[in-house]
Amino acid sequence: MSKKIEPTLVFAGAKDVIEFDHHHDGIDRRGFLKCMAWAGAGTYCVMQGGVLHSYALGGLGGHKPKGDLSFVQISDSHMGFNKPANPDVTATLQAAIDKINALPQAPTFLLHTGDITHLSKPGEFDTVQQMLKGLKTGDHFFVPGEHDVLNDDGAQYRERFAKGSRGSGWYSFDKSGVHFVGLVNVMNLKAGGLGSLGKEQLEWMEKDVKHLSKSTPIVVFTHIPLWSVYPEWGWATDDSAQALGSLKKFGSVTVLNGHIHQTMRKVEGNVTFHTAMSTAFPQPAPGSAPSPGPMKVPEEKLRAVLGITDVNFVQGSHALAITDEALSGQ
Amino acid sequence: MKAKQYLLVIAVLLTLPFAALAQSSPAQPGQAAPVEVKIDNFSFSPGTVTVRVGSTVRWTNRDDIPHTVVSDNEIFKSKTLDTDEQYSYTFANPGTYDYFCSIHPKMTGKVVVQ
Repeated sequence: MSKKIEPTLVFAGAKDVIEFDHHHDGIDRRGFLKCMAWAGAGTYCVMQGGVLHSYALGGLGGHKPKGDLSFVQISDSHMGFNKPANPDVTATLQAAIDKINALPQAPTFLLHTGDITHLSKPGEFDTVQQMLKGLKTGDHFFVPGEHDVLNDDGAQYRERFAKGSRGSGWYSFDKSGVHFVGLVNVMNLKAGGLGSLGKEQLEWMEKDVKHLSKSTPIVVFTHIPLWSVYPEWGWATDDSAQALGSLKKFGSVTVLNGHIHQTMRKVEGNVTFHTAMSTAFPQPAPGSAPSPGPMKVPEEKLRAVLGITDVNFVQGSHALAITDEALSGQ
Repeated sequence: MKAKQYLLVIAVLLTLPFAALAQSSPAQPGQAAPVEVKIDNFSFSPGTVTVRVGSTVRWTNRDDIPHTVVSDNEIFKSKTLDTDEQYSYTFANPGTYDYFCSIHPKMTGKVVVQ
Protein backbone atom coordinates (compact mmCIF):
# COMPACT_ATOMS: atom_id res chain seq x y z
CA MET A 1 0.00 0.00 0.00
CA SER A 2 1.46 3.34 -0.97
CA LYS A 3 1.84 5.87 1.79
CA LYS A 4 0.08 9.19 1.71
CA ILE A 5 2.24 11.81 0.08
CA GLU A 6 1.61 15.53 0.08
CA PRO A 7 0.83 17.07 -3.27
CA THR A 8 4.07 17.76 -5.04
CA LEU A 9 4.74 19.69 -8.17
CA VAL A 10 7.97 18.90 -9.93
CA PHE A 11 9.11 20.54 -13.10
CA ALA A 12 12.41 20.14 -14.83
CA GLY A 13 13.92 22.24 -17.54
CA ALA A 14 17.11 22.10 -19.52
CA LYS A 15 18.83 24.39 -17.05
CA ASP A 16 17.07 24.09 -13.75
CA VAL A 17 15.07 21.74 -11.60
CA ILE A 18 12.24 23.11 -9.53
CA GLU A 19 10.56 21.21 -6.81
CA PHE A 20 7.72 23.00 -5.16
CA ASP A 21 5.61 21.37 -2.53
CA HIS A 22 2.26 22.86 -1.91
CA HIS A 23 -0.47 21.77 0.40
CA HIS A 24 -3.52 23.10 -1.36
CA ASP A 25 -5.59 22.07 -4.31
CA GLY A 26 -4.84 25.40 -5.99
CA ILE A 27 -2.50 26.06 -8.84
CA ASP A 28 1.13 26.91 -8.41
CA ARG A 29 1.54 29.83 -10.75
CA ARG A 30 5.31 29.99 -10.38
CA GLY A 31 5.48 26.36 -11.44
CA PHE A 32 3.26 27.06 -14.42
CA LEU A 33 5.50 29.76 -15.76
CA LYS A 34 8.59 27.64 -15.36
CA CYS A 35 6.75 24.80 -17.01
CA MET A 36 6.00 26.99 -19.98
CA ALA A 37 9.63 27.87 -20.31
CA TRP A 38 10.52 24.30 -21.13
CA ALA A 39 7.39 23.17 -22.96
CA GLY A 40 8.61 21.30 -25.96
CA ALA A 41 12.19 21.00 -24.85
CA GLY A 42 11.87 17.24 -24.32
CA THR A 43 11.29 15.97 -20.83
CA TYR A 44 11.69 12.64 -19.12
CA CYS A 45 9.31 11.92 -16.27
CA VAL A 46 9.09 9.05 -13.84
CA MET A 47 6.38 8.63 -11.30
CA GLN A 48 7.15 6.58 -8.23
CA GLY A 49 4.98 6.22 -5.17
CA GLY A 50 2.92 9.21 -6.21
CA VAL A 51 5.77 11.64 -6.83
CA LEU A 52 6.76 12.65 -10.31
CA HIS A 53 10.38 13.31 -11.15
CA SER A 54 11.20 14.88 -14.44
CA TYR A 55 14.48 15.65 -16.16
CA ALA A 56 15.48 17.28 -19.41
CA LEU A 57 16.07 14.62 -22.03
CA GLY A 58 19.52 15.98 -22.81
CA GLY A 59 20.69 15.25 -19.28
CA LEU A 60 19.98 11.54 -19.45
CA GLY A 61 22.88 10.57 -21.66
CA GLY A 62 20.55 8.90 -24.12
CA HIS A 63 18.86 6.73 -21.51
CA LYS A 64 15.27 5.97 -22.39
CA PRO A 65 12.80 4.27 -20.10
CA LYS A 66 12.07 0.68 -21.01
CA GLY A 67 9.05 -1.21 -19.76
CA ASP A 68 6.58 -4.02 -20.21
CA LEU A 69 4.08 -1.69 -21.76
CA SER A 70 4.81 1.31 -23.86
CA PHE A 71 2.25 3.53 -25.53
CA VAL A 72 2.20 6.93 -27.10
CA GLN A 73 -0.22 9.81 -26.71
CA ILE A 74 -0.89 12.44 -29.34
CA SER A 75 -3.48 15.17 -29.13
CA ASP A 76 -5.18 18.12 -30.75
CA SER A 77 -4.34 17.47 -34.39
CA HIS A 78 -7.05 19.95 -35.51
CA MET A 79 -7.09 18.60 -39.06
CA GLY A 80 -8.58 21.34 -41.24
CA PHE A 81 -7.07 24.26 -39.29
CA ASN A 82 -5.26 26.56 -41.72
CA LYS A 83 -4.69 29.85 -39.92
CA PRO A 84 -1.32 31.60 -39.42
CA ALA A 85 -0.53 29.73 -36.17
CA ASN A 86 0.04 26.69 -38.43
CA PRO A 87 -1.03 26.74 -42.07
CA ASP A 88 -0.01 23.09 -42.53
CA VAL A 89 -1.32 20.86 -39.74
CA THR A 90 -1.02 17.84 -42.05
CA ALA A 91 2.76 18.26 -42.19
CA THR A 92 3.10 18.51 -38.41
CA LEU A 93 0.84 15.48 -37.82
CA GLN A 94 3.02 13.59 -40.29
CA ALA A 95 6.09 14.71 -38.35
CA ALA A 96 4.49 13.32 -35.18
CA ILE A 97 3.79 10.01 -36.92
CA ASP A 98 7.40 9.87 -38.14
CA LYS A 99 8.60 10.60 -34.62
CA ILE A 100 6.51 7.74 -33.22
CA ASN A 101 7.74 5.35 -35.89
CA ALA A 102 11.31 6.27 -34.96
CA LEU A 103 10.93 5.55 -31.21
CA PRO A 104 13.52 3.03 -29.97
CA GLN A 105 10.81 0.86 -28.42
CA ALA A 106 7.78 0.54 -30.68
CA PRO A 107 4.70 1.57 -28.68
CA THR A 108 2.04 -1.09 -28.10
CA PHE A 109 -0.71 1.35 -29.05
CA LEU A 110 -1.62 4.96 -29.66
CA LEU A 111 -3.92 7.17 -27.61
CA HIS A 112 -5.38 10.28 -29.24
CA THR A 113 -6.85 12.62 -26.65
CA GLY A 114 -9.18 14.54 -28.93
CA ASP A 115 -9.63 17.43 -31.32
CA ILE A 116 -8.67 15.04 -34.06
CA THR A 117 -10.31 17.50 -36.47
CA HIS A 118 -10.96 21.22 -36.39
CA LEU A 119 -14.55 21.28 -37.68
CA SER A 120 -15.76 17.64 -37.55
CA LYS A 121 -15.85 17.52 -41.35
CA PRO A 122 -15.85 14.05 -42.95
CA GLY A 123 -12.86 15.00 -45.11
CA GLU A 124 -10.87 16.02 -42.02
CA PHE A 125 -11.59 12.71 -40.30
CA ASP A 126 -10.72 10.88 -43.53
CA THR A 127 -7.33 12.60 -43.76
CA VAL A 128 -6.36 11.69 -40.18
CA GLN A 129 -7.53 8.08 -40.53
CA GLN A 130 -5.56 7.75 -43.76
CA MET A 131 -2.43 9.26 -42.20
CA LEU A 132 -2.61 7.05 -39.09
CA LYS A 133 -2.39 4.02 -41.38
CA GLY A 134 1.25 5.04 -41.79
CA LEU A 135 1.90 4.31 -38.10
CA LYS A 136 3.82 1.17 -37.31
CA THR A 137 1.71 1.02 -34.16
CA GLY A 138 -1.53 -0.65 -35.19
CA ASP A 139 -3.83 -0.30 -32.21
CA HIS A 140 -5.41 3.16 -31.76
CA PHE A 141 -7.70 4.49 -29.04
CA PHE A 142 -9.48 7.82 -29.10
CA VAL A 143 -11.54 10.18 -27.00
CA PRO A 144 -13.31 13.13 -28.63
CA GLY A 145 -12.50 16.80 -28.25
CA GLU A 146 -15.16 19.46 -28.58
CA HIS A 147 -14.05 19.97 -32.20
CA ASP A 148 -14.91 16.35 -33.05
CA VAL A 149 -18.55 16.44 -32.01
CA LEU A 150 -19.74 19.61 -33.78
CA ASN A 151 -23.23 19.68 -35.26
CA ASP A 152 -24.03 15.96 -34.80
CA ASP A 153 -23.43 15.32 -31.07
CA GLY A 154 -20.53 13.09 -31.95
CA ALA A 155 -22.40 10.52 -34.09
CA GLN A 156 -19.76 10.58 -36.81
CA TYR A 157 -16.92 10.46 -34.30
CA ARG A 158 -18.37 7.35 -32.61
CA GLU A 159 -19.02 5.63 -35.92
CA ARG A 160 -15.38 6.09 -36.89
CA PHE A 161 -13.47 5.85 -33.60
CA ALA A 162 -15.58 4.51 -30.77
CA LYS A 163 -17.69 1.62 -32.03
CA GLY A 164 -18.93 -0.47 -29.15
CA SER A 165 -18.40 2.33 -26.66
CA ARG A 166 -21.07 3.42 -24.18
CA GLY A 167 -23.11 6.60 -23.95
CA SER A 168 -21.43 9.46 -25.77
CA GLY A 169 -18.30 7.33 -26.38
CA TRP A 170 -16.72 6.17 -23.12
CA TYR A 171 -15.08 2.77 -22.62
CA SER A 172 -12.31 0.92 -20.80
CA PHE A 173 -9.78 -1.78 -21.64
CA ASP A 174 -6.85 -3.63 -20.09
CA LYS A 175 -3.27 -3.92 -21.36
CA SER A 176 -0.44 -5.71 -19.57
CA GLY A 177 -2.18 -5.42 -16.20
CA VAL A 178 -2.91 -1.70 -16.58
CA HIS A 179 -6.57 -0.60 -16.68
CA PHE A 180 -7.33 2.20 -19.16
CA VAL A 181 -10.47 4.33 -18.97
CA GLY A 182 -11.40 6.63 -21.88
CA LEU A 183 -13.85 9.36 -20.83
CA VAL A 184 -15.86 11.97 -22.75
CA ASN A 185 -16.11 15.44 -21.19
CA VAL A 186 -16.98 17.61 -24.19
CA MET A 187 -20.69 16.86 -24.56
CA ASN A 188 -23.83 18.59 -23.25
CA LEU A 189 -21.86 21.54 -21.92
CA LYS A 190 -23.92 24.02 -19.91
CA ALA A 191 -23.87 27.81 -20.23
CA GLY A 192 -21.17 29.29 -18.03
CA GLY A 193 -19.82 25.83 -17.19
CA LEU A 194 -16.71 23.76 -17.82
CA GLY A 195 -16.03 20.33 -19.26
CA SER A 196 -18.59 17.79 -18.08
CA LEU A 197 -18.68 14.03 -17.60
CA GLY A 198 -22.29 13.69 -16.47
CA LYS A 199 -24.06 11.41 -14.03
CA GLU A 200 -24.43 8.41 -16.32
CA GLN A 201 -20.75 8.29 -17.18
CA LEU A 202 -19.67 8.78 -13.58
CA GLU A 203 -21.88 5.92 -12.45
CA TRP A 204 -20.51 3.71 -15.20
CA MET A 205 -16.94 4.56 -14.22
CA GLU A 206 -17.50 3.77 -10.57
CA LYS A 207 -18.81 0.32 -11.49
CA ASP A 208 -16.07 -0.18 -14.07
CA VAL A 209 -13.23 0.14 -11.54
CA LYS A 210 -15.02 -1.32 -8.52
CA HIS A 211 -13.94 -4.93 -9.09
CA LEU A 212 -10.27 -4.07 -9.69
CA SER A 213 -7.65 -4.65 -7.01
CA LYS A 214 -6.16 -1.51 -5.50
CA SER A 215 -2.74 -2.41 -6.87
CA THR A 216 -3.99 -2.18 -10.47
CA PRO A 217 -2.37 0.81 -12.20
CA ILE A 218 -5.06 3.03 -13.69
CA VAL A 219 -4.70 5.34 -16.68
CA VAL A 220 -7.59 7.72 -17.35
CA PHE A 221 -7.55 9.65 -20.62
CA THR A 222 -9.95 12.38 -21.65
CA HIS A 223 -9.77 15.61 -23.63
CA ILE A 224 -10.34 18.49 -21.20
CA PRO A 225 -8.08 18.35 -18.11
CA LEU A 226 -9.56 16.64 -15.05
CA TRP A 227 -7.78 19.11 -12.81
CA SER A 228 -8.35 22.79 -12.48
CA VAL A 229 -5.71 24.15 -14.86
CA TYR A 230 -7.41 27.49 -15.57
CA PRO A 231 -11.20 27.58 -15.23
CA GLU A 232 -11.34 31.16 -16.54
CA TRP A 233 -10.50 29.71 -19.95
CA GLY A 234 -12.60 26.60 -19.48
CA TRP A 235 -9.52 24.48 -18.76
CA ALA A 236 -11.15 22.26 -16.15
CA THR A 237 -14.00 19.78 -15.75
CA ASP A 238 -17.00 20.54 -13.54
CA ASP A 239 -17.46 17.04 -12.10
CA SER A 240 -13.88 15.78 -12.18
CA ALA A 241 -13.76 15.45 -8.38
CA GLN A 242 -16.43 12.75 -8.53
CA ALA A 243 -14.50 10.85 -11.18
CA LEU A 244 -11.30 11.00 -9.14
CA GLY A 245 -13.25 10.04 -6.03
CA SER A 246 -13.93 6.61 -7.47
CA LEU A 247 -10.16 6.12 -7.96
CA LYS A 248 -9.14 6.85 -4.38
CA LYS A 249 -8.30 3.27 -3.46
CA PHE A 250 -5.77 2.82 -6.24
CA GLY A 251 -2.07 3.29 -5.58
CA SER A 252 -1.21 4.52 -9.07
CA VAL A 253 -3.48 6.72 -11.17
CA THR A 254 -2.29 8.57 -14.25
CA VAL A 255 -4.57 11.10 -15.94
CA LEU A 256 -3.70 12.04 -19.53
CA ASN A 257 -5.37 15.06 -21.13
CA GLY A 258 -5.08 17.34 -24.15
CA HIS A 259 -7.09 20.49 -24.95
CA ILE A 260 -4.62 23.12 -23.68
CA HIS A 261 -1.91 22.54 -26.33
CA GLN A 262 1.01 22.59 -23.90
CA THR A 263 2.57 20.22 -21.39
CA MET A 264 1.65 20.58 -17.76
CA ARG A 265 1.91 18.24 -14.82
CA LYS A 266 0.67 18.03 -11.32
CA VAL A 267 0.81 15.29 -8.72
CA GLU A 268 -1.78 15.03 -5.99
CA GLY A 269 -1.54 12.05 -3.69
CA ASN A 270 -1.85 8.94 -5.82
CA VAL A 271 -2.76 10.84 -9.00
CA THR A 272 -0.41 12.19 -11.65
CA PHE A 273 -2.02 14.63 -14.09
CA HIS A 274 -0.39 15.27 -17.42
CA THR A 275 -1.39 17.28 -20.47
CA ALA A 276 0.14 16.74 -23.90
CA MET A 277 1.33 19.10 -26.58
CA SER A 278 -0.74 19.52 -29.71
CA THR A 279 0.44 18.32 -33.10
CA ALA A 280 -1.12 21.42 -34.68
CA PHE A 281 -0.54 24.72 -32.85
CA PRO A 282 0.43 25.96 -29.38
CA GLN A 283 -1.85 27.88 -27.03
CA PRO A 284 -0.74 30.55 -24.56
CA ALA A 285 0.13 29.87 -20.92
CA PRO A 286 -2.88 30.37 -18.64
CA GLY A 287 -3.81 34.02 -18.33
CA SER A 288 -0.86 35.20 -20.42
CA ALA A 289 -3.00 36.36 -23.36
CA PRO A 290 -6.47 37.92 -23.80
CA SER A 291 -7.87 34.52 -24.83
CA PRO A 292 -6.79 30.91 -25.27
CA GLY A 293 -6.78 31.26 -29.08
CA PRO A 294 -4.01 29.75 -31.24
CA MET A 295 -0.60 31.24 -30.45
CA LYS A 296 1.54 32.39 -33.34
CA VAL A 297 5.20 31.64 -32.83
CA PRO A 298 8.02 32.25 -35.33
CA GLU A 299 7.86 29.59 -38.04
CA GLU A 300 11.22 28.09 -37.11
CA LYS A 301 10.04 27.64 -33.50
CA LEU A 302 6.73 25.95 -34.27
CA ARG A 303 7.95 22.36 -34.16
CA ALA A 304 9.62 22.98 -30.82
CA VAL A 305 6.20 23.57 -29.22
CA LEU A 306 4.39 20.68 -30.90
CA GLY A 307 5.00 17.07 -30.03
CA ILE A 308 4.13 13.62 -28.77
CA THR A 309 4.04 11.93 -25.37
CA ASP A 310 5.60 8.54 -24.81
CA VAL A 311 4.52 6.52 -21.77
CA ASN A 312 6.20 3.42 -20.34
CA PHE A 313 5.02 1.08 -17.62
CA VAL A 314 7.24 -1.41 -15.83
CA GLN A 315 5.31 -4.34 -14.35
CA GLY A 316 5.51 -4.57 -10.59
CA SER A 317 7.09 -1.16 -10.12
CA HIS A 318 3.86 0.82 -10.26
CA ALA A 319 5.75 3.49 -12.12
CA LEU A 320 4.74 5.11 -15.34
CA ALA A 321 7.46 7.01 -17.12
CA ILE A 322 6.12 9.89 -19.17
CA THR A 323 8.33 11.43 -21.85
CA ASP A 324 7.35 14.50 -23.86
CA GLU A 325 9.19 14.93 -27.10
CA ALA A 326 8.90 17.98 -29.32
CA LEU A 327 8.75 17.48 -33.07
CA SER A 328 12.09 19.27 -33.24
CA GLY A 329 14.63 20.87 -30.89
CA GLN A 330 14.67 24.55 -30.06
CA MET B 1 -51.04 61.39 -33.81
CA LYS B 2 -47.89 62.38 -35.58
CA ALA B 3 -46.26 63.79 -32.43
CA LYS B 4 -47.12 60.57 -30.62
CA GLN B 5 -45.34 58.53 -33.29
CA TYR B 6 -42.26 60.71 -32.96
CA LEU B 7 -42.29 60.21 -29.23
CA LEU B 8 -42.51 56.46 -29.69
CA VAL B 9 -39.55 56.46 -32.08
CA ILE B 10 -37.50 58.56 -29.67
CA ALA B 11 -38.42 56.30 -26.77
CA VAL B 12 -37.36 53.21 -28.71
CA LEU B 13 -34.11 54.81 -29.85
CA LEU B 14 -33.25 55.71 -26.27
CA THR B 15 -33.45 52.08 -25.26
CA LEU B 16 -31.06 50.97 -27.95
CA PRO B 17 -27.37 50.57 -27.10
CA PHE B 18 -24.88 52.64 -29.00
CA ALA B 19 -23.88 49.79 -31.30
CA ALA B 20 -27.45 49.28 -32.37
CA LEU B 21 -27.91 53.01 -32.94
CA ALA B 22 -24.85 53.18 -35.12
CA GLN B 23 -26.10 50.30 -37.21
CA SER B 24 -29.68 51.47 -37.48
CA SER B 25 -30.75 52.99 -40.74
CA PRO B 26 -33.96 54.97 -41.30
CA ALA B 27 -35.36 52.07 -43.35
CA GLN B 28 -38.87 50.63 -43.07
CA PRO B 29 -39.71 48.74 -39.89
CA GLY B 30 -38.52 45.14 -40.19
CA GLN B 31 -35.90 46.06 -42.76
CA ALA B 32 -33.47 47.81 -40.42
CA ALA B 33 -29.85 46.72 -40.57
CA PRO B 34 -29.14 43.91 -38.15
CA VAL B 35 -27.66 44.65 -34.78
CA GLU B 36 -24.10 43.37 -34.86
CA VAL B 37 -22.41 41.21 -32.24
CA LYS B 38 -18.77 40.33 -32.81
CA ILE B 39 -17.16 37.16 -31.51
CA ASP B 40 -13.60 38.08 -30.71
CA ASN B 41 -11.04 36.62 -28.29
CA PHE B 42 -13.52 34.05 -27.00
CA SER B 43 -16.15 36.62 -26.04
CA PHE B 44 -19.34 38.18 -27.39
CA SER B 45 -19.10 41.91 -27.89
CA PRO B 46 -21.15 43.70 -26.80
CA GLY B 47 -22.06 41.10 -24.21
CA THR B 48 -25.60 42.49 -23.91
CA VAL B 49 -27.60 44.06 -26.72
CA THR B 50 -31.02 45.60 -26.32
CA VAL B 51 -33.24 45.63 -29.41
CA ARG B 52 -36.88 46.21 -30.33
CA VAL B 53 -39.27 43.42 -31.23
CA GLY B 54 -38.75 42.34 -34.83
CA SER B 55 -35.05 43.22 -34.85
CA THR B 56 -32.42 40.94 -36.27
CA VAL B 57 -29.17 40.32 -34.42
CA ARG B 58 -26.22 39.15 -36.47
CA TRP B 59 -23.18 37.43 -34.94
CA THR B 60 -19.83 37.34 -36.76
CA ASN B 61 -17.01 35.05 -35.64
CA ARG B 62 -13.68 36.85 -35.87
CA ASP B 63 -11.66 34.20 -34.01
CA ASP B 64 -9.40 31.57 -35.54
CA ILE B 65 -11.44 29.02 -33.60
CA PRO B 66 -15.04 28.00 -34.35
CA HIS B 67 -17.86 29.08 -32.05
CA THR B 68 -21.62 28.68 -31.81
CA VAL B 69 -24.50 30.87 -30.67
CA VAL B 70 -27.05 28.86 -28.68
CA SER B 71 -29.77 30.26 -26.42
CA ASP B 72 -29.92 28.62 -23.00
CA ASN B 73 -33.36 27.18 -23.76
CA GLU B 74 -32.41 26.44 -27.38
CA ILE B 75 -34.94 28.88 -28.84
CA PHE B 76 -32.20 29.72 -31.32
CA LYS B 77 -29.14 27.68 -32.17
CA SER B 78 -26.56 28.36 -34.85
CA LYS B 79 -24.57 25.75 -36.63
CA THR B 80 -20.82 25.89 -35.98
CA LEU B 81 -19.42 29.22 -37.17
CA ASP B 82 -15.92 29.05 -38.59
CA THR B 83 -13.79 32.19 -38.94
CA ASP B 84 -15.76 35.08 -40.51
CA GLU B 85 -18.98 33.08 -40.70
CA GLN B 86 -22.20 34.74 -39.54
CA TYR B 87 -25.46 33.78 -37.92
CA SER B 88 -28.61 35.90 -37.74
CA TYR B 89 -31.76 35.55 -35.70
CA THR B 90 -34.85 37.76 -35.74
CA PHE B 91 -36.53 38.28 -32.39
CA ALA B 92 -40.31 38.23 -32.79
CA ASN B 93 -41.15 38.31 -29.07
CA PRO B 94 -40.07 40.53 -26.21
CA GLY B 95 -38.00 39.02 -23.44
CA THR B 96 -34.48 38.38 -22.23
CA TYR B 97 -32.56 35.77 -24.17
CA ASP B 98 -29.42 34.39 -22.53
CA TYR B 99 -27.13 32.55 -24.88
CA PHE B 100 -23.69 30.91 -24.93
CA CYS B 101 -21.17 29.15 -27.13
CA SER B 102 -21.88 25.44 -26.79
CA ILE B 103 -18.24 24.65 -27.65
CA HIS B 104 -16.80 27.10 -25.09
CA PRO B 105 -19.57 27.45 -22.51
CA LYS B 106 -17.67 30.10 -20.54
CA MET B 107 -18.63 32.44 -23.38
CA THR B 108 -22.05 33.91 -22.58
CA GLY B 109 -24.14 36.81 -23.85
CA LYS B 110 -27.61 38.30 -23.65
CA VAL B 111 -30.18 39.81 -25.98
CA VAL B 112 -32.89 41.96 -24.40
CA VAL B 113 -35.90 42.40 -26.69
CA GLN B 114 -38.31 45.20 -25.84
